[in-house]
Amino acid sequence: MSHTALVQAIHRHHARNQRWGFTWALWTAILWGAWYVPGTALWFEHPYVEITADQQSLRLAATAVMTWIHAITVFFFLLIWNLLLGKVKDYGRTIVQFKKISKWYALASLCGGPLAIFGSYMAMGFVGPVFAAISSLFYPVIGAIIARLWYKEKISQRAAIGMCIIIFGGMVIYGPSLFGEMDTSNPNAWLGYLGGLMSAIGWGSEGAVAGRAMDVSDPDVGIHCRFSFEVLFWGLIILPFLASFTDLPIKALIIDTITHGKAMLWIVLAAACHAYCYTAFYKSFSLIGVGRGEAIGNLYAVFALIFIAAFTLQLPQWYFIVGLFLTVLGSFVMFSESAESVAELRDTGDSKVYP
Amino acid sequence: MKLHQKGFLLITICKSGGIWDQQLINKVFAEYDESGDFREKSIRITLDELAAAGLVKRTDNKLEIINGKTKLIFKYQISDFGITRMVDTGLLLP
Repeated sequence: MSHTALVQAIHRHHARNQRWGFTWALWTAILWGAWYVPGTALWFEHPYVEITADQQSLRLAATAVMTWIHAITVFFFLLIWNLLLGKVKDYGRTIVQFKKISKWYALASLCGGPLAIFGSYMAMGFVGPVFAAISSLFYPVIGAIIARLWYKEKISQRAAIGMCIIIFGGMVIYGPSLFGEMDTSNPNAWLGYLGGLMSAIGWGSEGAVAGRAMDVSDPDVGIHCRFSFEVLFWGLIILPFLASFTDLPIKALIIDTITHGKAMLWIVLAAACHAYCYTAFYKSFSLIGVGRGEAIGNLYAVFALIFIAAFTLQLPQWYFIVGLFLTVLGSFVMFSESAESVAELRDTGDSKVYP
Repeated sequence: MKLHQKGFLLITICKSGGIWDQQLINKVFAEYDESGDFREKSIRITLDELAAAGLVKRTDNKLEIINGKTKLIFKYQISDFGITRMVDTGLLLP
């Protein structure tokens, strides 16, 4: 067979992988955006609707409870996924290797769960939701820096430019509302800023930390391990601690949530989005890298507003179009990178044997 | 308990000194008692992931007719980085 046919086949192979990597990352963004609808609707149901904005500690306790029940539901959706893919046995083989492999998934679950989600809620509670959304937009920068320093992930100039345009686009979408939210007289605002930083560091580091274990284990299995640990962290450590050492009504909140049909319906819908959003997220990392995967995942800012507009019939402001244009432009800049450059994601120092 | 599949692939590539993906797929099928197109594609994706992450390198490639279809196949070898990562994760003794 001719050399040209071989070269074309290799190019098609790399291009297909690049396309799949970006497709998974785009699914992350779509499902993440869709997650905001049931995720927000849940706060309008009993028992959460009765908690007013000024009851900060109760609000945080409620967040912990809903995150735990949510994580359990995600676990079951992932179980269905891995049953369909025939990877449940591999899940068992991977999670038992705690010391060498699954500890990284446990750490990733701490970064993405308690650190990022709790941080995001602190940012929402003490400064405002717009600030929380903007601070989260910076997580790909943290992710790319950690991936670069820790295991020398190659971030090409084109990928870096695309990443910056997407983040800038996200800021244009949310930025103008931020002025109405900043209140310099609020003495607790620093807690919100700290929370914003926690969410960016949490989500940014999650990809890089999980990437370490995904080097030697399957991404579908990996995400299942990650959620298994999140269920355990909330269920065996954080919630029992809150129930024992504070007077927060943890038990009542759990019972109220699981016995209330509408709350559970929103949790199930949110968990379906989240489970497959995260599956797509982890799959994209192994094909296009943590930096690119997280940056395209940032398009959630666009999809969240589109889904919210579709369900509430509240049209976004005009500057949404500018932000939309910028984020899409940034994605195209990243996608226009050559497939061959995405085929090898790291500077490993190994001499290249094959072009 | 058997080793997880990605670990098994790494160990097999490491021991072989250089191996074609078709042979690897046969070894995985024999080890885990699996078969079929879907599983085969899944193993090929895992190999792509390992190559993208720099744990293995592709040392050769060719077009071959398998079951009446022209397929691009690769020969894989473990990289120095792959060996380091295998030691880090207990797949290889230091």
